[in-house]
Amino acid sequence: MTGRISRRRFLRTTGMGTVGLALGPAILTSGCTKKKAARRTLRLLQWSHFVPRYDKWFDPYCKKWGEEHNVDVIVDHISLSDLRSTFASEVAAGRGHDLIEFIDPPSDFEPSVLDLSDLNQEAVKRFGAQLPATTKSSYNPFTKKYYGFCHGWTIDPGDYRKSLWEKVGMPDGPRTWEDLLVYSARIKSQLGVQNGIGISQELDSNMAERALLWSFDTGTQDEGEQVILDNPKTVEAVKYMTELYQKTLTPEVFSWNPASNNQLLIAGKASYILNSISAYRSAQKDVPEIAKDVFFTPALKGPRGSGWACQHVIYVSVIPTFAKANADLAKQFLLDLCANYDRAMWESELYASPSFFNAPVPEGDRGYTRVEGAKILRDVFNAWFANDPYALPGEAKGKLLPLQDAEKWSANVGHPGPASPAEGEIFGTFVLPNMFARVAQGKQSAEESVKQAAAECRKIFDKWRAQGLVGGKG
Amino acid sequence: MKTKRLLDRDEVLGPLCLLPVVIYMALFIGFPFVMSFVYSISNVTIGNPHYRIVGLQNFIAIVEDPVFRKSLVNTCIFTFVSISIVIVLGHILAELLRREFRGKWVVRFLVMLPWTAPIALGAIGFLWFLDSVFSPIDWLLRTWGLLGSPDSLFGAQSNLYWLGRPELAMTSVILVHVWRILPLAAVILLAGMNAIPREIIEAAQVDGAGYFRRLFHIILPLLFPVIGVTILFATFFTFTDMTVVWILTKGGPPPNSTQVLASLAFLKGIAGGDLAQAAAVALFFFPVLAGIAAIVLRLVKKAVVT
Repeated sequence: MTGRISRRRFLRTTGMGTVGLALGPAILTSGCTKKKAARRTLRLLQWSHFVPRYDKWFDPYCKKWGEEHNVDVIVDHISLSDLRSTFASEVAAGRGHDLIEFIDPPSDFEPSVLDLSDLNQEAVKRFGAQLPATTKSSYNPFTKKYYGFCHGWTIDPGDYRKSLWEKVGMPDGPRTWEDLLVYSARIKSQLGVQNGIGISQELDSNMAERALLWSFDTGTQDEGEQVILDNPKTVEAVKYMTELYQKTLTPEVFSWNPASNNQLLIAGKASYILNSISAYRSAQKDVPEIAKDVFFTPALKGPRGSGWACQHVIYVSVIPTFAKANADLAKQFLLDLCANYDRAMWESELYASPSFFNAPVPEGDRGYTRVEGAKILRDVFNAWFANDPYALPGEAKGKLLPLQDAEKWSANVGHPGPASPAEGEIFGTFVLPNMFARVAQGKQSAEESVKQAAAECRKIFDKWRAQGLVGGKG
Repeated sequence: MKTKRLLDRDEVLGPLCLLPVVIYMALFIGFPFVMSFVYSISNVTIGNPHYRIVGLQNFIAIVEDPVFRKSLVNTCIFTFVSISIVIVLGHILAELLRREFRGKWVVRFLVMLPWTAPIALGAIGFLWFLDSVFSPIDWLLRTWGLLGSPDSLFGAQSNLYWLGRPELAMTSVILVHVWRILPLAAVILLAGMNAIPREIIEAAQVDGAGYFRRLFHIILPLLFPVIGVTILFATFFTFTDMTVVWILTKGGPPPNSTQVLASLAFLKGIAGGDLAQAAAVALFFFPVLAGIAAIVLRLVKKAVVT
């Protein structure tokens, strides 16, 4: 009798257990919340930085900032690939983090985030003019709303192996897309090392293809957000890429992910790639002899002299409408981050560059050897890019010098127009890499492929125009 | 007292015990299904949860989209070829696992591993296996002289570029998926085979029926209901799966050579921000899978009755 469990007892026990398990965390959390009600909390959702050293600096920085402002700062790092879906869930739920940092313009979230015009105006007042390309990645000229605040960006230069280019008579690397075609073809045929421009459904290929289009004086849209892809210059660029593929690349570039060109460079199997300096930094740690042979070029010039690169990473922070109560704290945090951007540059090993080059360099111990006479970030930037503080012993001096004026040849996604949700969808669904690949694989003519891509772009633009987020006419 | 009496009645207790499952299914399956239907006829985007109903606009847009049509064809190829291979290999594997041999349990354990291990882990392993530059398969082929010289069987190039060539990429994705679901199919078929009465097989043997006659005239007809269930499960897993495709190719190589409906829905909804069209793509599964399920279950029922 005593050893058996009756139905009623079983139901009562399991029922109570289930209710206890379901309500337990809520009861415990509410107790903690009451205790901490007096002190405010700022929750940050942050992507895990490509340079681990940056996060090691950023987290204690946030904690210290919180102590100075009597705020608990919680930083949640998540994988970059989870960032959009996580924030989308928070938007749908109407609760979540107070400040979210993206590395591409989150323009499609505009209806669910606060207008940060006041923050951007205050930043300009304190730190001087913002780089136009970074403004275009955080401001919608059609709705006249700052959906984000862009505090920094990353340069996307050409990375080349000097020893290989010397052997074919181009020791300073290519200066034009034509150089790239002619000389990297020679490197491939004579030295057996291929070129490393991707034509795949991934980020770096997306950037490379945009850089090529802009340098050929074309693109997906004009300044007024009209689709202009379907024109002879795009056809010319597509034909160029086909020739580049046939003479300097292999089918592996169709299978690439964002890490592939880095791996190829570090493995000594690429003569030239388009990537940030992170590929070089990885080589410095893993294969120093390759790193010593890696040098940089600014954006390659097209047939009419234009030369553009795509900003590699663009740091745009947003404050969701549901976090309005903490908006003042979030804005203060961002302004203070801009004021400390010398540390952001330093701790990211020069991966991050500031949006506000004229921001003053703070006094006191900055955690690095101070640059003599440096008053604003531009001075620090110039000094570090003239003499890389992270260079290996025995490495050539002035390797980063060609990148000192990178803001002049770096453009936002959507250049010469803004980074709109339509541009975001074209980027995210890989319309351009597919356009180039169809021709390179011989599946379509350049004219047909451009026409198909332009039609896809128009549909995407029309859809977002109907949402009231994109200007121009359908 | 009244409550106590109620709980002692089977017609009350039965539904009460089922209630948590019903609530669970309503919350985590029913609600998302209804939401995806509502989304598919709306203009909802990832950044704006407020929406208005736009009718069948999204369905018309996706049907007109060449990428959707390509993904649909890819999904059908991916599913049909995978299932065919899985059924044939699953049967052979089940046949082998039925026999008595030393270390049978170890072999069974190893055969089940791909199904029990996280698929992401396995797919990442295959990503290295099929790498365009560092593939050990290519290395072996080069070592054996089958690749990398002008007179080689597979050509003069140094690599096969498994994930860079559209046909090879689709083959790779299918083979990895087969590797993953083969154990499940084999175990279901094994259970079915073990349920066939031995007397029937032995009687056929006594009557002089050879292996293939027994296979095609006795075993397969008796196994038909089990094969039907296996096809159903495998089709659902394959039609709705995006893990293998996403980890190996992200739908590439361009232009969308291995894009399937599940990965396209993710791409449109999360990367592209258009939740409404993504929901329309995802919902496209529903009538197709419901139709397949109805047909297969009807055939299975017929086979069981006859």
